Amino acid sequence: MTKRYVLVHDENKCIGCQACNVACRSENNVPESVTRIQVRIEGPYGNFPHLHFKYNRVSCEQCENAPCVKVCPTGAAYVNDDGIVSINEKKCVGCLYCVAACPYKVRFINPETRVPDKCDFCKETRLARGEEPACVTVCPTQALVFGDANDMSSEVRKVLDTKPHYQQKVNLGTEPRVYRIPSRKGGIKA
Amino acid sequence: MNNIWGSMEQYDPVVWNWIIAVYLFMAGLSAGSMLVAIGLKWYKQSRGLPTEGLPVIKAAAVIGPVAICLGMALLVLDLTKPFEFYHILLNYNLTSVMAWGVIALLIYIPLVFVFAALVFEKQVLHYAPWLAGVLKVCRQVENTLNKLIFALGLGVGVYTGFLLSAMISYPILNTAVLPALFLASAMSVGSAGNILVATLFFSKKESDCIEQVHRIEYPVAFNEALCLVLLFVGLNFSGPAAQAATAAITTGTWASVFWIGVVGLGLVVPVLASTLAPKAWRHSKGFLITVSCSTILGVLALRHFVVYAGQSYIS
Repeated sequence: MTKRYVLVHDENKCIGCQACNVACRSENNVPESVTRIQVRIEGPYGNFPHLHFKYNRVSCEQCENAPCVKVCPTGAAYVNDDGIVSINEKKCVGCLYCVAACPYKVRFINPETRVPDKCDFCKETRLARGEEPACVTVCPTQALVFGDANDMSSEVRKVLDTKPHYQQKVNLGTEPRVYRIPSRKGGIKA
Repeated sequence: MNNIWGSMEQYDPVVWNWIIAVYLFMAGLSAGSMLVAIGLKWYKQSRGLPTEGLPVIKAAAVIGPVAICLGMALLVLDLTKPFEFYHILLNYNLTSVMAWGVIALLIYIPLVFVFAALVFEKQVLHYAPWLAGVLKVCRQVENTLNKLIFALGLGVGVYTGFLLSAMISYPILNTAVLPALFLASAMSVGSAGNILVATLFFSKKESDCIEQVHRIEYPVAFNEALCLVLLFVGLNFSGPAAQAATAAITTGTWASVFWIGVVGLGLVVPVLASTLAPKAWRHSKGFLITVSCSTILGVLALRHFVVYAGQSYIS
């Protein structure tokens, strides 16, 4: 694997505006009833008057050790050289095993193709053109940083090297490639 | 819920529904009935007793193929792309339990049909005399065939458990006990199914060889109960998320299904019936039908409980 695309979500900078959600929908023609990313506004936490919310990004974690890929009986769920967990629509029979096996519950059946769908870092469109994923480009507060973590000079590498971060559900051993910078007010709650 | 991030509908943790529960039941029923029938056959053979025309074996010859075919039909119809199911027969990802299940079923299904054809040889030859040659060859390798079916039956029974336990984020499902529990309950539903079909259709005398099947019921029921205890006691020691999942048997609808269906109908009723019922009843048709129906409903409830409650608690 030459590239290792990762995404960092800074929960201090995020304001829960859903611009990423909307941009993703438009870029990837996601049908209205389903969604590839959500930023859930959880809370309030803390004691009055010191209340705060947590902005929880919910999208494919691009696991290095992906349960969806392991359980797929036909190999329709696979990992590419770039480390992006992908779906081969032709091989898929729609058994929903990957949807059930995903610990982050981010796979869904696309009502148009009848095949599981999820975030793929816009690899067919924007990434192929050398651009960043739609959500990263559109984020008004620059809460999202995307790039190749194997490239030592990349911005994403610098962020991961200098800021405290966490991943969700590491205890399951899935090694997600979505990193989160915890809110200074909130602390880490994976 | 009114939120700004959109519909939460797709995030329902229950992905596999009752269709899968019924499929898991059907696969267990088929595998269990074959295991019990072949086991009984070996038991009789080892004591030099005749095995031809035993009602329980005839019953297994009906249940084995019918249950697995109905189960497969449900499974295929439940796919989001049922007409493209053949891809699963062409592509195999061997890290997937489901792929192993496909391989096992691909061999198991034709073999149970051969088993049935050998049991009902006369009838088969009556309607399809052109099969005589094939059946003759099958008869010669019958012993090997039975061993193979027995091994594959164990495989099918266990794989249905591994299928669910491979899903790492559901604490109730992701345990090593689940395959053992499914195998034990497959044996109990298999013997109950065999007794039911044998009593209804093949039994001339009321006590026809049901005694031996009864004999395996106790150890099987004991194992099933033990697996259930291990499952929930084990959850208590596996961290907070798993501990929270033990609520599955204390609160909500699935707790009632567990205590009334799984424990009550599946374990307590059959065990009490065969220990406390007066001797005169024990081999009466009504008694056998009631008790075996109770066991069958209990195992059906177990599959539903595991599928729904299992997916409702996520770590």
